Parts: sequence; C-alpha cells; structure tokens
Amino acid sequence: MLFFSFFKTLVDQEVTVELKNDIELKGTLKSVDQFLNLKLDNISCSDETKYPHLSSVRNIFIRGSTVRYVYLNKNMVDTNLLQDAARREAMSSRK
Amino acid sequence: MSFFGFDTSRPGHNEGSGRDSRKKTSSNAKRAENPVDFEETYRGLGDYENEEDDYLNDETFGNATELGADFDFGYGKNEAEAGGHIDQQTVNRSYASAAASAGPGVMNTGYHAGPAHAMDDGMDFTPMESLWTNQPAIMSHQQHHQLQQHQALSMEELERQQHQQMQQHGYANMPPPAHMGYGYPPQAYLPPNVNSAGYQNIPQGMPQGLPQGMPQGMPQGMPQGLPQGMPQGIPQGMPVPMPMPLPMAGPPQQYQQSHVAMQQQHPPASAPQQPPQMPEVSSGTPQSPEVGQQHAASPSQLVAGKPPAAGNAASAQVLRSAHPAPIPRTQILTPDQDLREGTPRGSRRGSMRKPQEPLSQDEFRRLQVRQAKVDKILRHSGVMTPRDKDFITRYQLSQIVTDDPYNEDFYFQVYKIIQRGGIVSESNKGLIARAYLEHSGHRLGGRYKRADVALQRMQSQVEKAVTVAKERPQKNRENLDGAKEGVLGKISSARNSKAPRRQLQIPLQRDDDDDVTSSAIEDVVQTLNGVELSASSKARRRSSYAFRSVDQRAVLSRSGGRKFVLSLIEDVYAEVLELEAQLRSGKETDSSHLWESLHISDDAYEVSPFISILSFDKGVKIMPRIFNFLDKDQKLKLLYCFFSELSHLNIIVTSSYKTNSDPTDSQLKKLELFQSVFLKIIVSFLSSSAEFLEVLGLLLALVKNNNVSFISTSKIGLNLITVLISRAALIKQDVSRGNVLSSVEASSWNEIYDKLFTALETKLAVVFPPDEYTAKVVDTSSTGTVTSATVGQSNKHQFYDQSYIWQFLASLALSGKLNHQRVIIDEIREEIFGTINRAEQLMSTVPVEEQQIALYQRDKLYQDLNLFLNVMGLVARDGEISELK
Repeated sequence: MLFFSFFKTLVDQEVTVELKNDIELKGTLKSVDQFLNLKLDNISCSDETKYPHLSSVRNIFIRGSTVRYVYLNKNMVDTNLLQDAARREAMSSRK
Repeated sequence: MSFFGFDTSRPGHNEGSGRDSRKKTSSNAKRAENPVDFEETYRGLGDYENEEDDYLNDETFGNATELGADFDFGYGKNEAEAGGHIDQQTVNRSYASAAASAGPGVMNTGYHAGPAHAMDDGMDFTPMESLWTNQPAIMSHQQHHQLQQHQALSMEELERQQHQQMQQHGYANMPPPAHMGYGYPPQAYLPPNVNSAGYQNIPQGMPQGLPQGMPQGMPQGMPQGLPQGMPQGIPQGMPVPMPMPLPMAGPPQQYQQSHVAMQQQHPPASAPQQPPQMPEVSSGTPQSPEVGQQHAASPSQLVAGKPPAAGNAASAQVLRSAHPAPIPRTQILTPDQDLREGTPRGSRRGSMRKPQEPLSQDEFRRLQVRQAKVDKILRHSGVMTPRDKDFITRYQLSQIVTDDPYNEDFYFQVYKIIQRGGIVSESNKGLIARAYLEHSGHRLGGRYKRADVALQRMQSQVEKAVTVAKERPQKNRENLDGAKEGVLGKISSARNSKAPRRQLQIPLQRDDDDDVTSSAIEDVVQTLNGVELSASSKARRRSSYAFRSVDQRAVLSRSGGRKFVLSLIEDVYAEVLELEAQLRSGKETDSSHLWESLHISDDAYEVSPFISILSFDKGVKIMPRIFNFLDKDQKLKLLYCFFSELSHLNIIVTSSYKTNSDPTDSQLKKLELFQSVFLKIIVSFLSSSAEFLEVLGLLLALVKNNNVSFISTSKIGLNLITVLISRAALIKQDVSRGNVLSSVEASSWNEIYDKLFTALETKLAVVFPPDEYTAKVVDTSSTGTVTSATVGQSNKHQFYDQSYIWQFLASLALSGKLNHQRVIIDEIREEIFGTINRAEQLMSTVPVEEQQIALYQRDKLYQDLNLFLNVMGLVARDGEISELK
C-alpha cells in the first residue's frame, strides 16, 4: 500500500517511466492502482526514432509489472514523510 | 405459442409463449378447453366480436400505428442469451412435436404470420420502444439470406454454420423443414435445439460458438432481469421470435406479405384478436398439418389476388418490404431481452419506426459494416447483470479502499494535508468513488447522464467495499481463496493491499539474536561493573578514553554495537510514530516507552547508546520529535547524559581538527545537520525552560566528565560550551537585576566557572584551528555545501568563519573576572593581532576590482574580533586596538 499511496501523490505530475523493454516514456501520470498499473497522458517517447509507433500515441496504460523505473523530480517526494510512512508500514507488518 | 404447434399437454407453456401474457392468459385459458378449428381460429381473422379483454388491445398493441407498417424490432442477438434456455427448450420441445406431426415448413410459416402483425400493431407500445434496435442490419441479413444476392458471409462461416446445424440435427430429432425459421441470424446462438433442425440453407450470421456457450450465461441474467419489465410473459414470449425467420423459406414470405395486406383491410380492432387465437391453433396439434396447408393456400391466394386489389399505399409499402417482413418478429425478442438485461439501447431507436425501404448496395454495405461493429459490441453485452457488475466493482474497490486511511494510506494522506496546508477537502471515499468512475470508463450516469446519481451509487459501493475490506481479515482465507480463485483472477486475501506479496522473505529471528547478544554483553558489563567500576572511576575512564573515541567503531562497540544502535534508532522511531499517532487521535501520550527506548540511563554500556544514536543522521533528525514528547525532567536527564559523554560524540570527534584534520564533504554536512537540528533544540530548551542551577549542572557534567580542551578543538564542542556559559551568564544578569541570586548559586557558579577555566587555561590558543585545517574546510565546502566557511561573493574569496570562536571567547570573558580576562588575552594575543593583520592586509593585497569583497571580509573580521574585545571594553579599528568609548 505504501507505493500505491506514494504514487497517488504523483498524479497529475510529470514522470518518466522506463519499461523493462527499455522504452522510456515521459508523460503526466493520470492514475495508478494497487497493482501500480499506470495511466499516462501526453506521452512522449525519449527515443522516437527507435520506437516510431509510439509517436502517434497520446495516452497509454501501462501494466505495473512491466515497469522498470519511474523517474521522479526530486521535489515531488517528501523524503522524511516517506521514511515515516515506510517505518509505519514495517511496523504494521511486524505486528 | 400457437405458431409453434404446442404441446397441448402443457397448457402453461402455451399460455406463456404468447407475446402479451396479460392478454393471453385469459383468452388462452378459456380456449384451451375447446378443440381447435382452424376455420375459427384463423380464416375469419378480424371478424370476431370483441371479446372479454379486448378492450385492452389498444393499450397492449397501440392503435396509432398504420396497419401493415413494418418495423424494425432491433437486433435480437442478445435476447437469446438473455432468454432462459430452459424456456427455449420447453418451447422447442413442443415445437418439435408439432413439427413432427405437421407438414412441411409451411405450417410454421403460418403460425408466424399472425403474431407478427400483432406485433406490428404493437409498435406503439412505448415502454419498449427504446429497446428496439438496429433494424437495418437485421434487415440486411434477412434480405441477404432470402435473396441470396449479397454474399455477406464468408464460405467458412457458412460451412461452420452448416456444420453446427448438422451436428445438432441428431439432438433435435426433428425433420429439418419444421425448423426452417430458426436459422434466423440473431437467434442463431439460441440453444442448440433451435438450430439443430437447422434450416440448413440459410446462411446466417450465427455468432460462433454461441449455441454451446450461451446457456451458461443465461441462468444468471434471466432471473434478475425479468422482474423489471414483463413479468410473466418474457420467458415464454422469448421463443416466439425464433420461428420468425421462416419466411426465408420462400412460400412463407409470400404468405406474410399477403397477410399484411390482408390485415390492412381489416379494421384495426380486429388485429389484436389474432394473438389470442394463436394458442388455439397450436393446441390443435393434430390438425396442424391441415392448418399449415390451409395457411399455405390462403397466402398464395392472397398474394395472387389481394395485394393488387388492396392497392393502397400502405400495402404497396408492405409488399415492397416483403423481405424485411420477418424481421420485426425476430426483433420482438429485443424488448424482452433488453428488459432482462437492463441494457440501454435506446440509441438506435430512431430506425425502428420507419417503414423499411429497399436498400441500395452502398447502404447495404454500410449497414453490414455497422452491423459488424454492433455485433462486436454486443457480443458480450448482458453477460453480466448489474448486480454482477456491482459485485466486481465492490471487490475491486475493496482492494484499494481502507477504513483506516491514516495508517494504511499514510503517505498520501499526510502529503495531501501538507500540500493543502492542512485542509482536507474531500472525503477519502468520495475521492475514490470519483476516481474509480472516471478511471473505469463507466458511462457516467448511463442513459440519463446522471453523473451525480452514478457518483452516489459509486460512493455507496465504496462504502460497501470498505465494509468488505474490514471483514477481509476475519474471513477464512482458505475458503475465500478457493471460491474466488480463477473467477476474478488471482485473488488472495492473504495478499491484499495490506500485505502485498514480498519478493524477499526476511526471517524474523533477528530480534532473538539481538536479545541473545545484547544480554550477553550486558552480563559481561554487569560483572565488570560489580567488580571494579565505581561511578567516579567510570567517569574518569570515559574522559581518558576521549581520544580513543576517534575510532567510531570503537565507540559504537562500547555502546552495544552498530547493529544494536541502529535497531535502537528504529525502536525510537517506532515509539515516536506511535506517540504521534496517539496525539493525532487525541489520546493521552505516554512517553515512558520512548524514554526506555532511548537508553539514556542505561549503564550497561561503557558509552551510552543514546550518544551513539546521535552518531547517525537519522538519529539526529528524530531528536526534535522526541523532544515533543518528553517532559522537562526527561529532557534534562537526556541533556545531562549528552554533556557528560560529549567526548564520545561522533560529531565532536569529526569536527575537531585534532582528530579529523581532513574533513570530508559528508562530514561537514553532518556537522551542519547537527548544528541546525540538535544544537537548536538545546538552545531553545536552555533559553525557554532551564533554571540557572540546571544550566550549571549541565556545565558541570561537561567539565567534570570530559576533556574540555579536546572538546574545544571542535566547532560543535565550542558551540555547546558557548551556549551553556552564555546562557548561565544571561540568567545571572537577569537574576542579579532582581537580586534573587542566592549565595549558594553564586558560589557554585564561580566554582564551576573556575573548573572550566582551569581546564581551558594554557590551552586557549588551541581553539583556533590551524591554517591548513581551515583551508581544507574552505576547500571542501567550496564544492557547494554550506558549511562553517562563510561564502563571500565569489568562491575564490571564501574564508573560514571564526565567529564561533570569538563568540566563545566573548562569553568566557563575559562570565570571568578581570584576571580571567587577562589570562585569555595573554593566551590569544597572537590570534588577536593576527586577525587584525589579516584584515589590514586584505585591503592592500587585493586588486582594485575586488575591493568590495575585501572590504566586506575585513569588516567581518573586525566584527568578530570586536565581539570579544567589546566584552572587555576594547575595540579594534583600522589596525589598532583602543578603548571602547
């Protein structure tokens, strides 16, 4: 739930998603679910020449399991809060 | 009903199969008793007197419609799905038996025709109107089949259909002709029985695989949907349409046409009578062949003679649309089905009322395309009832909602609060409901575009989902898993949002291990304590160990080990989080656990674990939050412990030029952090709540237990001493103004000050770090971090900020007597003049364009120096020291 909770705060922010097949997509995160499936809007592919078929795609739904990385802007994350949240999560699972 | 050739032994079914159950029930019941005479039932069509319930006819069938008009009743595909297969089977059976005794397909045709018309009339039946669907498409199919003009189906499809029909043959046990009509495309997927006899030559657009698959879906859909619309009639009415397609057979078509025409000539009122009669026809199964023949005969007659005679526009139209004629009947199903499914299909309603026109090739093709699309869309529509959908929705929602958002959705909740400045705008549930609606692409509000209604509905769903989520842990996991697995994908209550699947399984024995090791250490330490270490000797040992503390690992090991200290920090965090949660929920907070987790008064270790906690950044960062929950007593104890063991403090060691002559960037950052976090706490505590004696106590602890001259070589250490003595001096001044300072306090202050001064005497010059060290710090920090070095306007002109040293000396001098001040000046005379020289040189050596910067630096140097000199009534200005006036 932590990551779900975390990604929910990124909704409407611009993120870059790197997939496990090396495609890198930049777009506005529209929604996320508990599987961390992502919905991106206004996407642009970092390597248009390699994946020209993506140039005609505006928005995309990405299955969570295919995501390798999500690149974030540093200021989108409240690291102290995230630490607390992580600790709470660990605490609750320990109980 | 009648058109199928009913099994008379099952009156109930006959009755039900009527299109309008309301009507039929009564009339049917009455007539069932009499043997049926075809002449009575059919030929005299429309000549009957009004019967008992005929006054309902208009209401039932409508009276505003032009007679003989052709309607599109929509595309009946799904209705078949919806219509219970049970009913179909029943009907089918009776049909079959009828067929067996009946002549060729003609008979069926005959039966059909009547109802069809009735239905035509009924077009005005408003409630259904919205449910009729795409006539054109159907029509095209029909046309296609009948005329064989357009090859709408591929060869493969044809073959497949035929194959299916062949297969089903045996099953149905019926002579093919009897079933002629069944091949109608929309119903193609009706239970196998329907197709079985197969009107083989009809190439229908039978959706693949439907015959087999459909029955499964049915049971669910039916029961729920039924109540909505036509109470009883539906199940039985369903089958009715099936025979419709008959017309394709050829003769039937004609018959239909003629029939239509005929009807037109009758007064409208008579039309409604037809349906009731039908049952009779059917009940007379034995006669049916005959009937069929007669039927066949009459149509042909009609065709031959009447249409021309009829001659009016309406009939012409009817004739023109001969092919489509069967369509309406098939589509009669649609309403039923739609009701059952509750699927809004109103969109295509428009086409329904139009009389059919012959289609051009283009139109036809377009319709085909459209039909294909509609097929695709409708293929699985109605598979799930609204209740099913609700269930799924709820189940999905239950995975992401929680009744305890603060704990389970902590980051999001708090982050949003921080972002919005503490205002929580919308309820969590409302948010989820909205997001889910948008996300899932539900057509907002459905047919009526009532988004608010949809939202409300979804919110109630969320409510329910929360309930489900609450119940989740209590349910028997095994059972739940077993029941839902495979139906809704992999569902595991053991692996829900609260407990996601873990890639790494970390054994939880760690705690036990720690207990073992730490208790072992404790044992050892305790025996040592008992043997040798008195409190005072322990303290002595500590101060003499100061330099050994340079090795941080040694310090850590003496306080329980790195692992132990790290786990302590986590414990502290856990306690703090717990307390914060309690605070938020308005409960009383009890800091005793937190206090224990800090291990401040823990004598089991040579170095207090608390000091080691401060060796880690996260340990430092948590301190302000710890202080929120400690009472004054605890804070004092904590600080006492802190000052007592200052020499062991990692930050002192790393910030001392003696032990760490080559500070790294990260160390400088740590220093910065410590200053901004912990020093701040101390200052605020001392200035807000510490009594004079308490400050003295802390100072005493520092002086007594530590190597003060070592501490004074570190920036942090010097800062700490400065804070203590300046605070003490301030309180003393305040108090002396009020003359409240007791002699005991005054004397203890003097005593402590003397101790401190003795410890520093002859070593005061070492508080100034050597040039190499300052140069290094400036160098390291110039890579971008803010450190002890003051950054000038440009990187080139950074220099080591010595203000903290002058602050220390100033506060020392302030509290000391004249002889103390004299000693201080004697010891640091070189530094004073050195500083003045540097300030003066700055002006003379730098190039003209950097005069501004040099001027600033010079002022800064003088400013710092004067901080100290002013205490003694002196001031340094323009290279000379003079008395302050």
